[in-house]
Parts: sequence; C-alpha cells; structure tokens
Amino acid sequence: MKKDQSPSLQGALARRTFMKAAAGFAGTTLFGGVTFKAFAQMSSLAPADHCFVFAYFNGGWDVLLSLDPRDPAVFTPERISETRILPGYSLLSNDASFPTNVVRPQGSNIDFGPAIGRMANHFDQMAIVRGVNMNTVAHEVGFRYFLTGKEPNGSAARASSTATEIVGQLKPSVPVPNVAYNIETYNDRYPGYANALRVSSSNDLLLTLAPSPTALDSEIERELVDMHGRRISCEADLYDSRGLVKQYRESQAQMQTVLSAQLDRYFRFEDNTADTAAMRAEKAALRTLYGLRPEGGNDPRTSAAARAALVATALKRGVSQCVSMNITGGLDTHFGTQLTHAQNQRTGWNALADLVTDLKASPHPSGGTFMEHTTILIFSEFSRTPLINASGGRDHHITNSCMLLGKGIKHNTVFGKSGDVGLSAGVIDHRTGAPSATGEQILPDHVIATVMKAANIDYSITRVEPLAGLLA
Amino acid sequence: MNSRFLLSALAVVAISACTKAPTGSEQPGSLTPVELPTDHPNINPLPDPEMNGGHAGRAPRRISVAQLKTSIITVTGRQWSQIDNLASSLGQADYAITVSDATEPNLVFAKFLEDGAREVCLNAARDDLAKMTPDTRVLWPDVPGAPRDFTTLDDTTIGNNLKTMSIRFWGSPFDDAEITAWTETFKKVAARAKTANRPEQAWGSICVAMMTDPRFITY
Repeated sequence: MKKDQSPSLQGALARRTFMKAAAGFAGTTLFGGVTFKAFAQMSSLAPADHCFVFAYFNGGWDVLLSLDPRDPAVFTPERISETRILPGYSLLSNDASFPTNVVRPQGSNIDFGPAIGRMANHFDQMAIVRGVNMNTVAHEVGFRYFLTGKEPNGSAARASSTATEIVGQLKPSVPVPNVAYNIETYNDRYPGYANALRVSSSNDLLLTLAPSPTALDSEIERELVDMHGRRISCEADLYDSRGLVKQYRESQAQMQTVLSAQLDRYFRFEDNTADTAAMRAEKAALRTLYGLRPEGGNDPRTSAAARAALVATALKRGVSQCVSMNITGGLDTHFGTQLTHAQNQRTGWNALADLVTDLKASPHPSGGTFMEHTTILIFSEFSRTPLINASGGRDHHITNSCMLLGKGIKHNTVFGKSGDVGLSAGVIDHRTGAPSATGEQILPDHVIATVMKAANIDYSITRVEPLAGLLA
Repeated sequence: MNSRFLLSALAVVAISACTKAPTGSEQPGSLTPVELPTDHPNINPLPDPEMNGGHAGRAPRRISVAQLKTSIITVTGRQWSQIDNLASSLGQADYAITVSDATEPNLVFAKFLEDGAREVCLNAARDDLAKMTPDTRVLWPDVPGAPRDFTTLDDTTIGNNLKTMSIRFWGSPFDDAEITAWTETFKKVAARAKTANRPEQAWGSICVAMMTDPRFITY
C-alpha cells in the first residue's frame, strides 16, 4: 500500500512512524522520565524469593562416614565375605571427637555416619537420597553428571549446570544471579545473563563488588554517573528497540547500586576499624558463628567456613540467587588412613551446618527465615568402596548418596536405599522411596529433576520425572 | 597474427574499462554518490519500524572480548593490564567449559569495563600531559600548547577536541545538540580537576565516559 503513496506523503508517514516508535520506546525505557542517578538510587538489593545452593565435595566421598552408614556391630570384619561392607569406624579412634557408631540425633528419622559433624543437628530440614546409581567411577564424569543432571558424553558435559538452568528460567533481578565458587559451570542454551560469575577465591568476588581500584575525584565520579544515563538521540533509541543498550544502562545502574551499597565490606569478614559499629558487631557475630579466625584455623578468605559464610552473605544481601561451590576436597583417599578422609569430610559438613544455622536464624524480607526460601543440594561425584583396599584407603564406588535441604523438599526423611551387600544400587519406588521390585534405579537425572521441580521450573530437559516422594 | 590482434584488442578494452577520467567536480580521494534512478521509490533514512517488527535495522551487538581488546589498543595505543585475567568474566569462551562467547552487557561486564577504562584513560592522560606537541597526544590532540589547566579552553577548542575524540572512540562525530552537553560537562570536570590538582582527570574522565558509552561497546 505504501508504495502507491506519493513520496511526500511517504516521508510524512515515515517521520510520524519514527516519532511514534521513538515515543513508544521512551515510554517503555527506564530512562524515559527518570535520570540515571535517580534510577540507580531506586534500584534496591532485595534477596531472591527462592535461593539455591549447590555444594560439592571434591574427590568422591565415603558415604559410610556420613550419609549412608552401617552399624559396625552388624557389619563386622568377620562378616566381610558375606556383606562386602566394612564401616571402619574404629579406625577413627585416634581422634576422640569422632563417634565410633552410627549417629542419630533425638527426633531424627535419619542415621548418619561419624563424619557428619554438626550437620546432623539439621535433620529437621533435610532429606537424604541413598542408592543413587552414578553409572561411572570417573571423577569428572560423575561430577559433571551431578552438576548438570545429564550423563556426559565421554567426559564432556552436555547440558547447562542446574544453577544456570534455574537462573536461565527464573531471570532473577539480583545483580550477580549465579556465582560459581571454584567449581565448573556450564551454559548450553541460555543468554549470557544466566552465566555464572566464576570465582576462584573470595577476592574475585570482592573485585566485582568493590569500587574501582583507580579512583577519580568524587565530584568527577558524580559527573560520570550522570553521563552514563545521558540519552544519545531519538534515532539511537529507535535503533535500540531490542534493548541491548537499555540492558547495558541497567547494568551500569545496578553497578552503581552495588557500589554505593559498599557490599564488598560485608564480604571482608575480618574486623575493620573503618566499618561502622553495627557492621563490626555483625561481622563479629558472623566470625563467631562460622568459627572464622584470622590468626589461624578457619581463614576468613579461604577456608570452607569462609566459603559457607560467603554463600550466606551473597544470598542474604541480595547479591545472588544461586551459589555453587566446591566446599571441601582431599577426599580421593585411595591410600592412607580413614581418619584423613573423615576429617576432610567433616570440615565440609560443619561449614554447611553453620550455613544452615545462619539461614535458619535470618529472617527473609518476604516472611519466614532464609532457610524457608532456600533449597540446598549437597553432592559428590561418587562414593568410595565399602571395603578398605590393601593400601588402607578406599577406591571409587558407583553407588552414591546426596543431601537435599530446605524449600520444596520433604524434611527429616530418607529416600531410597543401597544394598546391604556391597552397597549396591537398588530399584526404588519413586513415589515412596522404598525398595521395590517394580521400581526404578535412582539416577542423578532424577535428583536434578526434583530440584528443578522444587524450584517450580520446567524440568523437561532432564527427560525424567522428579522423585515424587521427595517433594514437599 | 589474428590471436595477437585479438589479445591486444582485449587488453585495450580491459584498460579502458578500469580507467575512468576524473570529472570536473571529483577530487582525488572523494566519492560521488550514485544517483538513484528517477523511478526509484523514496528511501527513508531509517527503515519503517512498522514494516520491521517494531525494530529499525538489525539488532545491535555487544563487542566480544577480543574486539574490546583490539578497540582499546586502537583508540588509546595501550592495553588494559587486566583484560586477559578477566576475559572469562567479560564473556570470553575458553572452549573447554564455555564454548561460545557471551556478549551480554551485564553488571560484571559493566563493572570491569569501568575499571579498565579508568586504568587505560588515566594512564593515557598522564602520558599526554608530558607531550609538548599536540598531534602526538591521544586524548587532546586539538588543544594547542601544553596546558595543565583546561579551564582556560574556549568552547570551540573543547568542541573540536570532543569531536575528534568521538570519531576516535565511536567512529562518528557528535551532533551539535550532544556536543553542547558534553562541553558543559567537560568544563565542570576541568574545573574540578584543577581544584583537586589532578589535571589528568580532565580529559581522562571524558575518555572513561566515551569508553563506557554504549557506542563504544556495540556495533
């Protein structure tokens, strides 16, 4: 139709269309009537309504010591040929802090091994999944399988990390929605906003949250902030109708919000006389809770406890929605004593127990505690053999367990079971969690589908159904 | 004989096809726009958004880390020292864990680009302060002499230098409306830089603003 109109009329229409589109854009843009500085001030740092933590025990854990214990009075060395299981709890006797038997706190429906540490006290928030078939005893394969919920191709991950999947689908408004602390992260189908900020230490995160190392004069800084929001032209607005520049402006505004909130101070757990009295008191309480000691022991920047404290701070301060982290290592103990493995494993459990204590005690702005708004998955790539090898260690074993806590998950429950002979993976009724001849094996796919269902997002990427009996 | 004649004739035709005598209005190095046929439909400067799903032209894209690295060197002659360390956070693929470049202009990109722009621009400005010859300077080649106090510059000089910088950083000059606003901003910044005795922050902060402007990071 337009081709039949006269050139002058076409020009008028084009101008009108242009102005209409530009006006429409101005109406929709955040900067249409609000200055950049005002927008930056308006943006608040509200915690996500549903937060997620993925904690990885690096090296393959011994589930007999924590999530899938056996009574040493029943599984004795004399019955090894029959049971093919040796709990070996007596081998921890050099450290009196380890119980020598199965742990079951009062009120708990869950048995724990002696390395579970303080985490046993949070039985009221957790579910244990036992008898998970990993289909592999290769480190990177098992790890990437649990991280993505898809069995890798060879050792190559073939799906997004679950945290990326969650952020990709939920599109949270927090400034750094997805943080991967010393852990791999994958994104195979979402735009860059879902990518995790990969940090290898707390210093990397501080670099993002702290003011620029090159400071400008404060008045010049203010002029620069004003310039960030300066409109270029109507024509430029129209070219940006898909919103890339708008998104960049929003990121700059969010950056100003983060910097003006001086969030980096909250992640520097050491005492700092430059902080306000209230902040110093808050940080002192946090150091006490996580046992952070700058002078030694739990280092406030690098220890497992510091990592747990960082997770809690990122969630509570509204910086992130999903945090994945390598909480502890030193578990690939083919040689040596059971004690080393137990100590390393307990370090991770205690750090996570402190995290749960913290989240339980922290009120969430939308009501309830942070723990009621957080789902936690704790996993390792596989478990260790139920028998001790000739070198005094344990090798890789295919039957695994994992722990789920918090929102969307049934609490104080055990789902699934490993065999009493050789700790084999069984077939389980996924509606009840009980062993059943007509049931199915539990795979990491099912666990990840359950986490996604708990997050109320599409889990079809896993191509399996969640563990129905595990959902709250 | 015939084939030699034919080859010679072809050579003459080829040379005449490649050579065009300049017309009276053409100057060496200039281009004359091709005239449209008289019956050609009207061409608007922008595509009609209604005919294009509400959009004008193709979607803009953010530059990749490799492009950013090259762009910084091209406009300032120096490199941001941390760009390789922060490449993965800025979106560069490592082809092991991440197999495609992320070009999302997210908060982390905005933050680190701001850090990088400050480092590069203030270092460039410090170097320029020591240069006596204007055309060897990166950030104020259109400012005569070797001033350390930029509050004495007139609007024309500021405007000319801003236009040079905008072409250097964005490949296109400011329009008149925008240059007025930037000139005013520069005057305030220059006054503050003088008061704080930080002369490098006068043009240095304009450089930061240009490097963190959407026009620098999109194409």
